[in-house]
Amino acid sequence: MLGFAGLLAGVGAGLARLGWSMPDIAAQSAGLHGPLVVCGFFGTVISLERAVAIGRPWAYSGPLLAGAGTMLALGGAGLPALGSAAGLAAVAWFLAGLVLLVASLDVLRRQPALFTFTMAAAAACWPLGTALWAAGAAVHEVAGWWMAFLVLTIAGERLELSRFMPPSQAAKLAFGAVLALMLFVLAAGDGPWAGSAFGAGLVLLAAWLLRHDIARRTVRKGGLTRFIAICLLAGYAWLALGGAIVAAAGGLSPGSPAYGAAIHALALGFVFSMVLGHAPIIFPAVLRVAVPYRRWFYLPLALLHLSLLLRLAGDASGAFALSRTGGLLNALALAAFVVGTAAAVAAGARERRAEKEACARQP
Amino acid sequence: MPDDDAVREALRQVDDPEAGMNIVDLGLVYGIDVSEDSVRVEMTMTTAACPMADMIVEAARRVVSELVPDTARVDIELVWDPPWTPDRMTGIAREHFGW
Repeated sequence: MLGFAGLLAGVGAGLARLGWSMPDIAAQSAGLHGPLVVCGFFGTVISLERAVAIGRPWAYSGPLLAGAGTMLALGGAGLPALGSAAGLAAVAWFLAGLVLLVASLDVLRRQPALFTFTMAAAAACWPLGTALWAAGAAVHEVAGWWMAFLVLTIAGERLELSRFMPPSQAAKLAFGAVLALMLFVLAAGDGPWAGSAFGAGLVLLAAWLLRHDIARRTVRKGGLTRFIAICLLAGYAWLALGGAIVAAAGGLSPGSPAYGAAIHALALGFVFSMVLGHAPIIFPAVLRVAVPYRRWFYLPLALLHLSLLLRLAGDASGAFALSRTGGLLNALALAAFVVGTAAAVAAGARERRAEKEACARQP
Repeated sequence: MPDDDAVREALRQVDDPEAGMNIVDLGLVYGIDVSEDSVRVEMTMTTAACPMADMIVEAARRVVSELVPDTARVDIELVWDPPWTPDRMTGIAREHFGW
């Protein structure tokens, strides 16, 4: 619930930024759009997923702290002293990031491997970026760390699954080199060269994942397996495009159409596509509700990708109205995803009840 | 009570939805032990970072429970030692992933 509050508030804040009329709480959080989406939503969801995986009670303090950060950010949004409320939220999100890092290090200790290392490095990027933000850095200055948190978390998970069609030693070395490049330029870089190198790292990562992901095979199956694969393959295209924009623009520099285009290609096109694909298997794991696959899952997915195309076309051509409409449709795609998932949960529950009644009637 | 092979066949109904392949051919089932009044299955996940472990264990328990009398005990134990490696996959799974 706390994670979804972060998503709702974050999307509302984003729409307010695009000039859509929003309720006060979202409009006043417009400056916190990025932090709410990255820390408030993804931070909560990823920490919860990791806590469920390791099954240690203390790890659940991660998602709780991340949710508390969202509440603090929203609670303070209506106050004149936004700075101090955002500061408290940043502290809660930073602590949540530390818990995720410790949980990820626990996984690494239990299973030392390149993929567990990647997930731990990704987890470290979150509190690092958040600490810089809390210390006064602007959101765009820490956006690289936060994007690395999301992108590398997914990359680590996909690397794990690539073991079903094991990559060669050379391929693993190549992955390690891309990871090292990205972390190095994030830590060392402060100029266009670093921004371009980070963007190039994202493009190389997309190419590696596209080449080695089991999605290339599983897309030939049917049902949920194929749906997940399509979400991934489409996501890799956005990862490559987002990286190419970052590389061409010389980094994530604010105020330019390239900034918004790159961030949304990565966060919506890549990361959210992944969320849509995995919701039917992650929701049951973390929320204990069955989400049976339905063909209508493709609708929000198609809307997400088409509206993102519209938005980026607007960014590229300078037609703000297109970007603005694309942004609204992005939000509708996410709403359609939430509604579609809830409808699948309800339909699944009805089917199970009917099955039980049928069993009870049998002699 | 069913024999080991019947239990193994039943477990083939449990898929890893991401991989599109069942847990037996993925090599996740380590051992099956059927006694007079219980079935014990030892299985693993590909990694401890997998949040789906509980769900897959529950699905395994459900299919095995359908094979045995109501009074029989079904234990599905998740083990991490030895860790899973790709070598444990059967020919069917290897072919599926294009080895």
